[in-house]
Amino acid sequence: MSLIATLGAIEIGLVFALVALGVYITFRVLDFPDLTVDGTLPLGAAVAAAMIAGGVNPVLATLAAIVAGCLAGTVTAWLNIRFSILHLLAGILTMTALFSINLRVMGVPNIPLMNRPTVIDFFTWLNPLIAAAGLPARPTLRVLALLIIVTVIAALLARFLKTEFGLAMRATGANPRMARAQGIRTDMYIYVGVALSNGLVALAGALFAQTAGFADVSIGTGTIIAGLAAVILGETIFRTKSIVVAVFSCLIGAIAYRLAIALALNAGWLGLRASDLNLVTAVLVGIALMLPGVANPLRSLFKRSAP
Amino acid sequence: MISVRDVHVTFGRGTPLENRALRGLDLSVPDGEFITVIGSNGAGKSTLLNVLSGDARAERGTVEVDGIDVTRWPTPKRAGLIARVFQDPMAGTCERLTIEENMALAQARGRARGLGAALDRPRRALFRDKLAVLGLGLENRLGDSMGLLSGGQRQAVSLLMSTLAGTKTLLLDEHTAALDPRTAAFVLDLTRRIVDEQKLTALMVTHSMRDALDHGSRTVMLHEGKVVFDIAGERRKAMDVPDLLRLFKQVRGEELSDDSLLLS
Repeated sequence: MSLIATLGAIEIGLVFALVALGVYITFRVLDFPDLTVDGTLPLGAAVAAAMIAGGVNPVLATLAAIVAGCLAGTVTAWLNIRFSILHLLAGILTMTALFSINLRVMGVPNIPLMNRPTVIDFFTWLNPLIAAAGLPARPTLRVLALLIIVTVIAALLARFLKTEFGLAMRATGANPRMARAQGIRTDMYIYVGVALSNGLVALAGALFAQTAGFADVSIGTGTIIAGLAAVILGETIFRTKSIVVAVFSCLIGAIAYRLAIALALNAGWLGLRASDLNLVTAVLVGIALMLPGVANPLRSLFKRSAP
Repeated sequence: MISVRDVHVTFGRGTPLENRALRGLDLSVPDGEFITVIGSNGAGKSTLLNVLSGDARAERGTVEVDGIDVTRWPTPKRAGLIARVFQDPMAGTCERLTIEENMALAQARGRARGLGAALDRPRRALFRDKLAVLGLGLENRLGDSMGLLSGGQRQAVSLLMSTLAGTKTLLLDEHTAALDPRTAAFVLDLTRRIVDEQKLTALMVTHSMRDALDHGSRTVMLHEGKVVFDIAGERRKAMDVPDLLRLFKQVRGEELSDDSLLLS
């Protein structure tokens, strides 16, 4: 596999590391399997791309994308909590609505962002370093910029989960009845958690648009399964109780997963095409869930409905 | 102080399975009193605890704790006044979290949870001291998952957790029913020690008439959602299990047919 292809795989892996963190919050921390993310990823891309194309500062555009994602998550949590709609269905409802909303936001199905300012421009101070290492300039800069952003966010998330607030959120997912008896308003933690999760996924979408150079309504399909794949892979590599290691294993899982996909697509004898990605992902996640002993996030789907 | 006045609770109203769990129950527990509650299956013992904790709502009547009317309060809001130990050792703790994390959750009961670290050195030291009192060696296992503990150990930790936030009212829901006799005796003894030391107002539901008479200073019996008798003082001291059964027959004019009550 070429260096460019490897860097490309790491780049998309880093974007999906944010998706994995979001999926980790809902599936693992809150025990709230949230499918909204298939709509939130393109929502983040749409908001960021539309604003940047309209001349808005890319940092502002990215922040707006995060807020939009948080709102989408809040809608799903509201449908579940206020109306006792099954969390899976609540997520699908929001995701379906988001498809139309994303088209409205963009106005067209695809917005190119070539030669537009992006958040990556704030990392050009790394260029001399990259040049000294003799690596390809643009792809390496994107990877390093994403690496910095994603690492900072993962560290903040790990720290957050160790606060009193974060611990209460973990208790909400682990044992809601006990949590309420300990004075934890579980509904509020579900709102915050699902919003946070979708905010992270929207950020992934915004960064995707700015690194890949376009936003498209169709990029959301399979987001949830790709996120789950990263979480499962991370958990398989690092079997841990530590919340900090668990958060960072999502990152490693996401990157390792994209590298594996890139290798598979590269191996000509397999005869795979880029469009086979979703099939390969679904099959791999399916196999992972069938394997005995592998911690199984989908188990929670069958455990309980609205709390 | 607990005061329950004319509380009615009905489950599945208007359905064929309608169950009038509490039918005008009155009960008052003054500060610092440890009362035991007995009754056959379906008498309303668990519903009484749920009405106090907020897990069930009274459709009529009032519930007061420490002089505050909490009838309409949801469970989390009441947690600042009331602590509860569940029957199921799995229910009262988070098995995915560590011992120290469970204790930190309990210590923050009834106050705002912010973005400060849930665990720090002074808190760990406090938890270690509290656990050391149990004599189970748990003070050296702060970082172990709760799920690694036996049922008895978990109930003991649950009891400790119920005291960490300094609430004065303790609800015990057949909290030894799932334990073997020796462990049950240990947990009951610990309960008595904690209630005495912290001068708690405690309400213990039990299926065992023996335990009901041996612990606390007052025993009430529920039947069909009401208090059928309420004994304390010298009269209670002189009583044995057969006396309780006789009393029930006298009050109700019927035999108590619940095996679980007769056997224990």
